Amino acid sequence: MLKDFLEGKPLQHPIHPLLIHFPIGLFILSFILDLISLAFPSAPNLVRDAFYAMLLGIITAVIAAVPGLVDYTDIRSDHPAKRTATAHLTLNLIVVALYGINLGVRSSTLDELKTPIAPLVLSLIGIVLLSASSYLGGRLIYDEGIAVGRHKRRTPTPEDTLHFSTANTAREGDVLFVPVPGAERLGNEETLRAEINGQVMTIAKIDNRVFAIQEFCTHRFGPLSEGTFHGFDVQCPWHKSRFDVRTGKVTNGPAKVDLKTFRVETRDGKICVGVPCTTEKS
Amino acid sequence: MKWLLDFLKGTWLKHPLHPILVHVPMAMWPGALIFDLLSRGNIGGNAMVRLSFYAILFGLVVALLAVPAGLVDWTGIKKEKPAWKIGLYHMVLNLLAAVLFAINLGLRVQDFRDARTVSAAPLTLSILGTALVIGSAYLGGRMTYEYGISIARMSREKWRKIAEAGGANVPEE
Repeated sequence: MLKDFLEGKPLQHPIHPLLIHFPIGLFILSFILDLISLAFPSAPNLVRDAFYAMLLGIITAVIAAVPGLVDYTDIRSDHPAKRTATAHLTLNLIVVALYGINLGVRSSTLDELKTPIAPLVLSLIGIVLLSASSYLGGRLIYDEGIAVGRHKRRTPTPEDTLHFSTANTAREGDVLFVPVPGAERLGNEETLRAEINGQVMTIAKIDNRVFAIQEFCTHRFGPLSEGTFHGFDVQCPWHKSRFDVRTGKVTNGPAKVDLKTFRVETRDGKICVGVPCTTEKS
Repeated sequence: MKWLLDFLKGTWLKHPLHPILVHVPMAMWPGALIFDLLSRGNIGGNAMVRLSFYAILFGLVVALLAVPAGLVDWTGIKKEKPAWKIGLYHMVLNLLAAVLFAINLGLRVQDFRDARTVSAAPLTLSILGTALVIGSAYLGGRMTYEYGISIARMSREKWRKIAEAGGANVPEE
């Protein structure tokens, strides 16, 4: 419940990207006031103003860290974005620590007309690291699609990709049937992300039936294991392309190409997914 | 012309430009309201009045830069998509907020260096402007997080390779 709130589900908008406007804006404002104090030492109180802007920046940064951490834990552990997110998080911690020191150094010089060199250099380093970190944060959204469409999902998203070997599995013609133990425990509209014999797929339970489809949307390749379900349609979290999980057919654009589907059958009481013997593409 | 469009789209940066720039007005204007309220509560005195003035000014300058980048992103959306209409509302609200803060700034020029508290007219404009910009920013965020505008626009080829490696059906290039 608290997790849903921090993910921004009630607002239908993630919270962290909305709060970070404040530290970014305020830290930059603080630095600009520093620069103005150097250019116009006759203007009084700019050093004090820069201090207050920085203080408010630190407060809002600490608040933004909380939903940020929740967003971080939400990223699938083997997602290519996880490393970017770790770098983003580490840089942000360094930035806030630097500004904490900066604020302490400044506190004794509030009545100066020009910002002294030590805090000025700290601010410059802070701005550079902050820009790098914010850039990474932006890439997490615009390149990796983190938190995009997430508020529509009612069930948890997969925490990692399950890998299954095809050794010692029943072969039927060109199809290998591989038992997927996790599939039995799936609740309705819950998903697994699995890789079997090179095929990355979403395994989903809908209406007490298990379906397996390719993981990647055919529009911009969004993660269908993080999608939402509407009857037997899966909807991509990124741009709302819809596909029928039974046939893989596109039921709504922008995607134009149908999904690959995999047969799901129960054998010896186990749910098995059928994958082609070779990984040749159809 | 193409270089200008690519610049405004953020292609050179591998990151859309408009959402980067908007951080500044989005933080500065509500920030100005907070500084105004602190000054009204006799906290910080003239420092808050000055900070508020600088914040509004900084917000306006960067908002002007964000306009062309936002327009280019918006013209990239097909007119029949719901996001196009949201983009239109987003733009109108932003323009209104910017005009209100420009007037607001004009009212402050005279006495921000000495006043110990912000007077009622600019305070009211800060409240209205902040309400507008928060509403508008929410719509902007919805365009990203609900409708996926600009998502995977620049990383599309990377994801295509990942999808191909995972055995997926992919459209022809």
